[in-house]
Order: sequence, then C-alpha cells, then structure tokens
Amino acid sequence: MSTPDDTDDGDEPERLDGGVVDLQDPDESLDLGTSLSDRENITTDQEKYDARKIVTGEARYTADYRDRFPELAEARIVRSDIPHGRVIDIDTSGAEEMDGVHAVITPWDDVVPDTLYSPSGQSYPEPSPWDTRVLREHVRFVGDPIAAVAAEDRDTADRAARKLAVEYEEYDAVFDIWEATRPDAPRLFDDSEVENETTGADYERNLESHFEGELGNPERVFEATGDEQILETEWETPYQSHCVPEPHTSIVYTDEDDRYTVITATQVPYHTRRQLSHVFDVPIRDVRVVKPRVGAGFGSKQEMVIEPIALALHRKAGLPVKLECTRQEEFYAIRNRHPMALQFKTAVDEDGNPRAMDLYVRENSGAYGTHGMTVASNVGTKAMPLYPRVPHMRFAGDVVHTNLPMGAAQRGYGAPQGMFVVEAHLDELARRLGEDPVEYRKRHAVREGDTDRAAAILKDGDRFERTIRSCGIRECIERGADAIGYDDIDQPGAEHLHRGVGMALCAQGSGVAGKELGAAQLKMNEDGSFILQVGGVDVGSGNDTMFTQIAAETLGCEPDDIVVKSSDTDIAPFDYGAYASSTTYISGRAVQKAAADARERLLEWGGRLLEEPAENLATGGGEVYSEETGASVTLEEIGYESIYGDEDREHIMGQGHHATDESPPPFGAQFLTAVVDEETGEYEIEEMVFAADCGVAINPPLVEGQIEGGVHMSYEFATSGTLSFDGEGNPETLGFRQYGMPRPDEQPPIESIIVETHEPTGPFGAKSIGELPTNGVPPALSNAIRDAVGVRLTSLPIEAEDVKAALDEQPD
Amino acid sequence: MQVELQLNGEMNTFEASKTDSLLDVLRKNGYTGAKRGCDTGACGFCTVIVDDEPRNSCVIPAAKADGSTVETIEGLGSQTDLHPVQEAFVNHSALQCGFCIPGMIMRSKALLEENPSPSRAEIREGLSDNLCRCTGYEKIIDAVEDVAGSAAGQSGDSAVVTDGGGPE
Repeated sequence: MSTPDDTDDGDEPERLDGGVVDLQDPDESLDLGTSLSDRENITTDQEKYDARKIVTGEARYTADYRDRFPELAEARIVRSDIPHGRVIDIDTSGAEEMDGVHAVITPWDDVVPDTLYSPSGQSYPEPSPWDTRVLREHVRFVGDPIAAVAAEDRDTADRAARKLAVEYEEYDAVFDIWEATRPDAPRLFDDSEVENETTGADYERNLESHFEGELGNPERVFEATGDEQILETEWETPYQSHCVPEPHTSIVYTDEDDRYTVITATQVPYHTRRQLSHVFDVPIRDVRVVKPRVGAGFGSKQEMVIEPIALALHRKAGLPVKLECTRQEEFYAIRNRHPMALQFKTAVDEDGNPRAMDLYVRENSGAYGTHGMTVASNVGTKAMPLYPRVPHMRFAGDVVHTNLPMGAAQRGYGAPQGMFVVEAHLDELARRLGEDPVEYRKRHAVREGDTDRAAAILKDGDRFERTIRSCGIRECIERGADAIGYDDIDQPGAEHLHRGVGMALCAQGSGVAGKELGAAQLKMNEDGSFILQVGGVDVGSGNDTMFTQIAAETLGCEPDDIVVKSSDTDIAPFDYGAYASSTTYISGRAVQKAAADARERLLEWGGRLLEEPAENLATGGGEVYSEETGASVTLEEIGYESIYGDEDREHIMGQGHHATDESPPPFGAQFLTAVVDEETGEYEIEEMVFAADCGVAINPPLVEGQIEGGVHMSYEFATSGTLSFDGEGNPETLGFRQYGMPRPDEQPPIESIIVETHEPTGPFGAKSIGELPTNGVPPALSNAIRDAVGVRLTSLPIEAEDVKAALDEQPD
Repeated sequence: MQVELQLNGEMNTFEASKTDSLLDVLRKNGYTGAKRGCDTGACGFCTVIVDDEPRNSCVIPAAKADGSTVETIEGLGSQTDLHPVQEAFVNHSALQCGFCIPGMIMRSKALLEENPSPSRAEIREGLSDNLCRCTGYEKIIDAVEDVAGSAAGQSGDSAVVTDGGGPE
C-alpha cells in the first residue's frame, strides 16, 4: 500500500477538535491500538458473505419468496397514457367481472389513502416536498400510476389491467425546463397539491425549489477581473436509467398478529416503515419491513415506489399480494437520474490562479419532487470541494417541474453532473492558460488539512464546514497517470486518427452530514460465535461482508464467526438505509462500537476465568489472552461459561450506534484514452483507469468491484445511455434494446487502483467508495477529445455526430 | 397443459398454462435461480441451458420446451461443493447484487464447453447476451478466464461436470 503523498501534510491531532458533534474521540480506543500490519481482518479479501448462495441460485430476492404463500395474488399497475390531465372516470367493471380477479383499486377506493407524502427514502420530515398520492387523479406524466389490479396469476392481472377504461380531461403539458417557468406555462401543482415545500418553491412557475449560497464576494471579484481572465461555459446532461437488475418488487401480507409485513426490494427499510405508517395511518409498530437479498438499487430503491400500491391491493384483496414491476415500467415510469442544464464561470488572477467560481444548475425534476432539491444542491456541494481554497464561490439552482418522468436518487446524486462541469471546465481553463491540465488541477486541488466551506455553501452558520483529515488525491493523480501512460501517449499511424488522454478529479461524501444514524447489536453464542443484528442495508455491494470483518477485527475472532441478520425492522436496530455512501462509514462504525462494547464483556469474563485483571488482557485468534502471562481462554470457553456458569451468568452482548456531523470525502482520479477520427467524429475509448482514495479499503476486491461498476455506469452516462421521448411526452425507450447499457463486449477495460489513506473518523480508517467512481468518465472523455482534436464537447451523451459537428465548426 | 422436461438429469412433468414461458414454469416449481429481468430476452438473467445451448428462458414458450433437456443453476454445485465456474466467481468476487449471476454462470459454463480456452475478447463476446449492472464485467471476465486457464492446465473436463441436483 502507498504512503501519504509528501505534498499532503501529516496528521495533526489538534485538528481533531473544532466544533464537530460527536467527533470520534472514542476512535483511538476503538482502533485498539493495532497498526495496519497487525490487522487480521481489515484490508483482506474476505469471501463475500452471500457469495455461495448467489452462485448456487439459492439467494432469495423478493419474488423468490412466492413459494411461502400458497395463495399469492399477483398485481399490475395501470398507468397514465397522457402527459398531463385529470382522471375523470375509470370503468372497472370489465376487470372486476373476470374470473380470478381479486381486487381492483382506483384513486377513489376506500383502501387507497389520499394523503400527500414524499416517496423519497429520506429522514423525517423529508427534505423533499409532499406532492405524491398513492394513486393519482391529477396525472403529470405518461406513466403516473392511476389504478391497480390483483389477480390469481400474472396473466390474469395483465388482462384485467388492460380492461380498465380510463377517461381523462386533458391539460396542456410542458416538457422544457426553460419554458416551464414562464408565466404562460401550464401549471403542474395547485397550492392544495403540495405540503412540506422546500427552499424557494414557487409552484406558480413550476419551481419546486430555488436555492443559492455564497462564500466570500464572488460578484466583486468577477466585476474587478478582466474578460480575458474570465471563462464561462454551458453544459447539459440527460436522463440516465438505473437499469436496476431486479425490478422493483414487493410482497405484502398480514401476519398472525394482525400486523402488515412488507418483503420488499428496498434500500431504506426503516424510512419505508415510517412512510407506510404515515400514509396509511397505522401505528409504526404494526408495520414490519423486511429486506431480503436485493438485486441492487443505485438509488432507485431509495424510494417507497410501489409498496403503498401493494399494501392497498392487499387490504382490498384480503390475500398476500406480490407486485413486481416490468422492465418497461422501470424505463419509463419509475425513477431516473435528473437531466440538467448547467453554467459555470471562473475568474483567475494574473498568475492564473482561480479566485472565484460561480455555478448555476437548472434541474429537470420531472413530474414530482422526490430528491429534487437535494440532488440539485449536491451538484455544487460535491464538486466545488475539489477546490476549497478558491476564496470566492457562488452556487445557485432552480429545480423545475415538467411533464416527464421524475428524477430521483441515482448513484452519485448530482455529483456526476457537478464533476462533469467543474472538471471539464478547469481542464479547458488550464489549456487556455497554457498549462498542463493535470498539473494545474494537481496544484489547486484539495489538500489534507484544508478547511472546506464549499460543502456547506448552502447551509447557514459554520456547523457543516469541515476539515479534510485524509486526502490522497495527488497520489491518485500520480498513480492513475502512470497506469494510463500520461507522459507517453503515442499517436496512431493513420493521419485522421488522434489519440487523446483526459483526466477528471472526483469527490463524494461518506453519508449525509448531520443526517445519519446507524445502529447495531451483537449477541454471543455458546460456541464463541456472534449474531450481528444491524440496520445497515446490503443491496449487493458487500456491506454484510464488511460488517463481519469490522466485528471480527474488534472482537478478535474470524469473520466467519459472525452471522449477519440485517435490515428487518422487527429484528435489526435502526438505520437510515443504504444511500449517500453511508454504510461503511456510518453503519460500519456502529458495528465497530457494538463490537467494542461486547469486547469489554469478553475481557471481563476472560479476566474471571484467567484470574487476571481485564486491563492485562487482549483478544485475538478466537481467544482472550494475557499480555503478561501468555495464558489464554477461548471465546467458546467464555461462551459456555458466561451462559451456563455456576457462580454468575450473563448473555454477552454489545450495542453501538453512530451519528455524526462528519462526512469525509473520498477522492479519486479518472483517466482514459480515446482515439478520435477527425473525419467522422467517431471515437473509441481504449482504456479507463480509476484511482480511488477511500481511506482504508476494508475489503479490496469489493472496493475494486465498486470502482469497476461505478466506472461502467459513468461510461454509459458519458457515451450511450439516455431516454428519449416524442413531442407529446411519450416514452420511446422501453427496454434494454433501445437503451444503451454497455454489454460485456462494448465495455472498454477498466483498471482500478486503490490509494490508501487513513481517515481518523472512519471505522479502521475507512471512508466511502460506492458513489465516488460514478463521477469521472464524462469530464475525462470531454477532456480526452479536447486533447485529441481540439474541440470541447459539453453535452451528454457524447455521440460521433456531436464530435463531427464540433469539428466542422472549428476554425481551420 | 403438461410440460415434460429432463431437468438437471431427472425427468419431470410440470403443469403450465398456454401463456407460460419456460422461465415461468421453472420459477413456479421452485427453480428460482433463473431471474426475471426483462421478459423480452434482452438481459440474460434467466439464462439456462436447453438442449446444450444457453438460452433466455423467458422467451421460450413452455409448450416449445416440452421434451427438451434443461440445465439450471440448481443442477450445478452446492454451497459446500461448488462447480469450478461457481468457485471462480466466488474466488474473484465476481458478483455483487447477484441477480444476473445464475444466468451469467450458465452462459459462462456453456461458453467454456464450446470453447475451453477463450481469449479475453472471446469471453466478452461470448457473454455479450448477458448484462451486469454492478461489476463493470472485469471480475466476471477474470473468473471465466481463470476457469479456462485451469481447465487448460488440466487434461480433464472438470469444468463440464454436473451433479443433477434440484432446489431444496
């Protein structure tokens, strides 16, 4: 592993104070004084916890639970086929008369609440508007759910759904984010149709939110700077589908205690429980949400998408109901990455140093506001912290409704759009200053010890300003440059072909600062193993594995000695869920604290059995041993003695929770080479390298998997994936065949590099990795094409015809 | 109607409706390893081996499958005795959410039976009918390459052994 870059400052303990809530003074005791080389279960390639059941097909996802229910109704949603209007009537008689139909529900049904809520899987009250109803009379895009059917099988449900006759009153629709805010634009939301509005909402102008924040005095700097030192650029980014492997699926039934149980493909079991309770006005205690294996989320399941419809159908049908979305619905009716238009302006001083930055984003929120304002705000608060020493900054955004599918959380959460703009703009700026674009950014980028105010630019006060305690960004640049051969790029033989190299820096967070809670509990078994109950949600990335490593390292046993029971609201302690790259940093720390708590009891019992004071003792290798005498007792002996002993008995347990204002950014550098044909504009990305500083990588192969999967999504965003609509808002992208998700033979090779730093506030030095690598390919590709043929591409996806058009406009 | 399959080495007769696909028949009868990802033959999550060919079972009508020989993920190794392809996926951490993996493994097994020592490019090409959203494909290709490498190193055909099991 690498050593800290010599341009980064070393650790300075005095930084570990200043104004931070729950700053980890317990950290050192939790680290147990072991140096990296002593660690047995951290930075190891522990086999993925669920690997064997996955490769044998025995892992159970929601739809696989069907065999538990002899009488399981299958469900289908009926969706709006107009972009804007009001449902006047639904004739359900044809469907209700069919054999095998158990329930048909419409917005007017008694079992369907008309409560306004936000489906966003966020903390309470959600920082997203309450603008959604379970089924919608007022429909706002092609795909809005208006009715649903449950029947004895899928085929009957499909046929019944097609028999529903829907009558609409049609309204004018708007599809463009600039037209939508004009006074004459059709209005999507009346005043009575939204509660819990977000910052700067103005629904008369279809404005879900307007926000702005400032550091220093950027306006004065721009006024005082000559035009030749100011660079202004404009950018556009499209919809991206999550292409989530497992379609949204839920099974809802009532258990023998007359409580609702929801088995569901979710990233947010606890938020879903609370939201179902509120929407249906039933006590939280009467709802149980269970997350089985989940076929990934990428943010699309950081939402309560279909659970309320399944629950309403269950209430009406009186039978367990399974609702499984189709792939077509996933593409046109569920959730997407928000499209955006962005403007960026910088001012440099006479030496070329950046003095001011001004970023504006106009986000297409689509028909509903879930994650609208929060994603848009992350465009700036994730990307601008790459350059926290720029003294004057402004960031503003407008979040606009249109009659198109809704955006929502998607891996990266605004950061990919932000990084595209900031990193391609700064590359352009460096080139115009006559500087090497990599060296320029290396010089100005964030350093360990920096105070980052940009992450808090939209917040009042200084509570969320942060100190950068770990930063390996320069080593990421150096190792990435070495791997791609930055200093030695050959040109192809043919004259019309040009090879370029591009680099983009990346940053993210580790959880939502000040809005997270993770909790965990360990229970010891007689044989020295443990049951770990943890709220942290593994939707595929390997968190359960990471939990076993952290627990084992702390307890002094093997990861295989930890049995994980996670993400069942009846069994596992609370957790906000799998989003914002929080699980290792927040839930992992909760596990570490629970394990430290249990370890104290192990030492106490070890002391009794060894007749030595607990402070002489340590754990390791499945034993409690004396550092003084070398005597030892196994965890199994402690397990039996503590439960069945003559003198005293105790069930050895440990509890921990973690909540913090900290959200240390992981950093990365994306490099790629591309060969561009100057005659046709066609280009080919040859190789992609991503070097990541995620602190200590607890499980390097799983970290590499996160990098490679993130780069895959980022590659798609840059080159191929988008949704298209006709002029009436009808979706034209309805399946994988129309959508450009890269297949194995279309995906250029990816090299992942792990640059280790030590984050003092993280579990065993870890930060996050899940979202970071989703950010880099669009700017790196724009930069590589600029390097190859001199044109700047500013709109995604970058297609050959765009490159050709830019080449044609280029002066000879 | 009834559908007769030689499934993982054993003859089975299943009830099916006219609109059922082979995937429907398998999943209704407890063979849930094959996943429903698109129902249009575009993602490969439902890949099983039908009469020695890897096929998307969601687009094979049950009636058409009648009388065929079908191999599913349930017919490969068990958790304590993995098939070499399964073992390679585990050893290379070539899986995350796992939803595409049973299909990907069946496709890989068929690929290796067809071409025991494929190049990396041939592996990419051979797996191109199967999507994966989590891994960026790198570790999956590593895993298949590893099996090919070890099979080439041995003279036997360990990569093509099946044990004919069924779902629990």
